[in-house]
Amino acid sequence: MLSALLSCDTFPKDPDKTLEKVRNGQLLVGYSENPPWVIKSKPAPTGLEAELIKTFARDLQANIVWQNDTEEDLFEKLEKKKLHLVIGGFTDKNSAKSKISFTRPYLKKEKKKHVMAVLKGENAFILQLEKFLHAQETKLNATTAP
Amino acid sequence: MKLIRDFEYPPELEADFTKAKRLEWITIFYLLSTIVVMYLTMGNSQAMKTAWFEDLLSLTPSVSFLIASRIFLKKPNKEFPYGYHRVVSIAYLCSSLALFAVGGFLIIDSAITLIEQDRPTIGMVTLFGKSFWLGYLMIAALLYSALPSVILGRLKLPLAEKLHEKNLYTDAEMNKADWKTALAAIIGILGIGLGWWWADAVAAALISLDVIHDGYKNLRQAVLDLMDQIPKTVNNQEDDPLMQQVKDYLLRKKWVREVEVRFREEGHIYVGEGFVVPEPGQADNLTQLIADTTEQITQINWRIHEFTIMPVKELPQNHEE
Repeated sequence: MLSALLSCDTFPKDPDKTLEKVRNGQLLVGYSENPPWVIKSKPAPTGLEAELIKTFARDLQANIVWQNDTEEDLFEKLEKKKLHLVIGGFTDKNSAKSKISFTRPYLKKEKKKHVMAVLKGENAFILQLEKFLHAQETKLNATTAP
Repeated sequence: MKLIRDFEYPPELEADFTKAKRLEWITIFYLLSTIVVMYLTMGNSQAMKTAWFEDLLSLTPSVSFLIASRIFLKKPNKEFPYGYHRVVSIAYLCSSLALFAVGGFLIIDSAITLIEQDRPTIGMVTLFGKSFWLGYLMIAALLYSALPSVILGRLKLPLAEKLHEKNLYTDAEMNKADWKTALAAIIGILGIGLGWWWADAVAAALISLDVIHDGYKNLRQAVLDLMDQIPKTVNNQEDDPLMQQVKDYLLRKKWVREVEVRFREEGHIYVGEGFVVPEPGQADNLTQLIADTTEQITQINWRIHEFTIMPVKELPQNHEE
């Protein structure tokens, strides 16, 4: 247990090993259109959040499996663990059910704090995503500045 | 109307009383700081939330001690001929009831978390330009909520015994045991880190059990006090030996043939009666004898605040030993 505590790579762990499964595997991402954050297009969505997730997946050497749907249906799939994360320009004011989690705000724009929806309690995966988003913060603030 | 005497702690205890009040002020400020720190770090953890509630509630004994300590020194008056001592018992009842009720709420809350398999999400936090797992910050907050508390508890315990102050005693005991709460919550958070989502809710349930246990113990005592149970010692709830001491003292008096005593607690102090069968032939100076003996008995200990001697023909037959 002590060695697990000392090495930051393996602590915290996911109850369902999501991060392990995603790394070198598949990242299941749900998206609902909400320009400029997410823009529907073929073969993959574009927009600021879609691009962020593409980079995140590349870092994990994972292939993204995109799924387009309404916010409500996507959240339901997330709750049933059929998705790993959902993007759609959500803000921290989102009042979705408590069976899913949101990341910490990665960007503040026009007084709105932007977040992404994630599987609840998969802490290693969430931490990985939050660290990735945090690392992009300076770049994001520069590009989205009015 | 006959009022009871004004109350002040005897000179040798004044310093302890002042010290107790100072320690309680320190406790309140320290607890407020832990409540803020824990609120800011509690995130999604059930165990943290439970520990936070416990800290919030552990304010009540210190607050009620300080409020009561302003009121119980008020002079007895026509409306309140027995003075304001009962305020201590009422404060004690309130703090123990709060503890018990919230303990019940918290255990239900943890049980629901477990049954619904609600998994705690603990993400990233940035502090002083560094970003790391919030769980580590929670552990630091819990350590801060536990260690000074144990020291405060240990300092207050002996004062509570000397001052015969049950509120202070409850408070000291709770502070002293606070490390258990923190340890349980820390184990819960480390458990989350190891991927055991249930560890958090289990830790929370254990903490709630402890809160309920404290609450029940104190609630029971508070109710017994208000029902005029005979005086008990603060630290171990034994019959106060002072009662026997008074009885023996009366029996040693030459003018006393038989005696039975009874006492009740009014906050810190005892009020009692002695039913005395005098030796025959004392009719002339009985009043003087009673006055002198009454005076001597209140000198035995500061806790015996008022004692009434009642001459009777014979002792009631219905009493139990």
